[in-house]
Parts: sequence; C-alpha cells; structure tokens
Amino acid sequence: MKEAKSAKLNHQDNNEQIHHENSHLGSFKLAKLFDSEASWDKDQLGDVLHWIRQVVGLLCGLIWGAIPLVGGIWLLLFLAISSGIVYGYYALILKVDEEDYGGHAALLQDGLFASLSVFLLAWILVYSLSSF
Amino acid sequence: MATTIPLFASFKYADSLTVVGISFFTALVCEAISWILIYRTTSYKSLKFSIDKAAKKLETMKTENPSSKLTIKKSKTKKIDRVESSLKESSRDLSLFKFKSGAVVALVLFVVFGLLNSLFEGKVVAKLPFHPIAIVRKMSHRGLKGDDATDCSMAFLYLLCSISIRTNLQKFLGFSPPRGAAGAGLFPMPDPKTN
Repeated sequence: MKEAKSAKLNHQDNNEQIHHENSHLGSFKLAKLFDSEASWDKDQLGDVLHWIRQVVGLLCGLIWGAIPLVGGIWLLLFLAISSGIVYGYYALILKVDEEDYGGHAALLQDGLFASLSVFLLAWILVYSLSSF
Repeated sequence: MATTIPLFASFKYADSLTVVGISFFTALVCEAISWILIYRTTSYKSLKFSIDKAAKKLETMKTENPSSKLTIKKSKTKKIDRVESSLKESSRDLSLFKFKSGAVVALVLFVVFGLLNSLFEGKVVAKLPFHPIAIVRKMSHRGLKGDDATDCSMAFLYLLCSISIRTNLQKFLGFSPPRGAAGAGLFPMPDPKTN
C-alpha cells in the first residue's frame, strides 16, 4: 500500500518535472540575465554561459575574417576577450559565488571548446571567401 | 570533381561552403537518427530524469552544513555513498543506451567523410588566416601538395564543422548529456574508497 502510494507520488513528480522542462524556455525571462539578485540553477547558468561564448565566438570570427586579421596572436586575443566577457558577466553582473558552481575553472570552460571551433570556422570561412 | 552552386561560383574557395553545408545536413540527419532511436523513448526520459534528480540531491547533500555529531555524520556519508553509486549505475545505463545509436551515427559520419574525401581529395578548400602548429598542421594539410602551411584541407574544415555544429545543435535541441552524468562512461574510474 505504502509502496504503491510512493510510486504514485514519484510518477506525479516525474510528470511535473517533464512539464517543468517543457515550459523551461517559456518561463525564462530576459530580465533575469542582468539581475544580480536572481538565483541561478547550475544547469541554467552553464547554458547561459555556453550561449554567450558561442555568440562571442561567432561575432569575433566574422569580424576577424572581414577585417581581415591574420596571425595566431588574434586567436589568443579571442580567447582572452571571450573569457574576459564570461568572467565579467558572472562575477560583475550576476555576482554569483563561483564556489557554488564548481569554481572559476568550471564556469570558464563551459562551452569553451565549442566556441573555439565556431570562432575558427567563422574566421576561416569569411577570410577565405572575402580575401581571395 | 566537386560541383559548386552557381551563386557561389565566383568565390575561389566556394568548396568550403559545400563542406559546411554537407556537414550541417549530416548533423541534422545524425540528430534525427538519435531522436528516433533514443531521445523519444520513455526509458531514456526516465533515466535522464533520475540522473538529474540524483545529481541535484548529491549536490545539496554535499553543500549542507557539516554536522558536529559523529553518528549523524556517519549516516550522512553512507547516504551520500548510496546516492553516488545509484548515480553511477544510471550513468552507465545511459551510456549503454547511447551505444546503439552511436554505432549508426558513426556509420553515417564515416560514409559522409568518405564521400567528401572523394569529392575534395588533394584540394585546397579554404585558406587559414594563421600558421598552425605542427600537430594541427598534420590535420589541416592532410593530403595536400605544396608547403604552404595556410592551405586548409577538407578534413580540418569538416572536423571544425562537426564539433561546432553538432555540439550546438545538440545543446539547442536539448539532447546534450545531463551534467550529472559527465565523466561517467562505460568504463568508470575505480573508486579509491572501495579498495
């Protein structure tokens, strides 16, 4: 009897969670992105940092290719800019305590590899197409 | 010989766009296969849910203030160990689950790579705006003649495409593996406590 009840509760919980996940994007408010008082889930913060990195990677790649900037030093500059923006965002705008989210290393490496490849792809493509 | 779309024919390196287009399409096909074989099944959903739940539980248990009483502390460590082992088990199940579609996706990627190889073998598809280091150069100059380090082969461009497009597509569609399961693969590291 007790087991059946707990199974039922668990099932309800499950359904609620799935429903919550479905409405996750819908309930996400833009204002929260700049609210230093808002509380952040580890997954949510990771996702936001991931997408910020991707956008920065794409923009930098397009700009670097269009100018065009040539040389490995610009790759390092991109890494510095991208990490600086992410650090500035979570430390200065959101003011989160990095220890709650696994330290600086965990927050700074979220989406780093993917954004590096997005950046390289955009840079190489725009440079190859526009300069030759 | 590769055929280029007339609109882009004026570009010297228009082949790069073909490579990007093909890899984008392949990524879509791979995700569709994964969705059919894994993500739409209820057993995957419940497994993912239990991993997320266990990971969150573990996190809150670890961050709670440590109690000074020895007996409570002992029972808490036991509880943490139990949750940890169930999390490991679920992660292992998840990896096994993904193995099935992984094989199909690998086959698709292999076939596409073969196709691209036959289309662009020995051809410079793009120009690198930097001089790559030796390890990267092996990939970026694969199958190309000449000594110009800034020549980019199809393999390097395809690698960049598959990393960036596939990772972001999975993230966008919500198919990326749950964070709680990160690092726990088919062959987990041995737990020093059990030895």
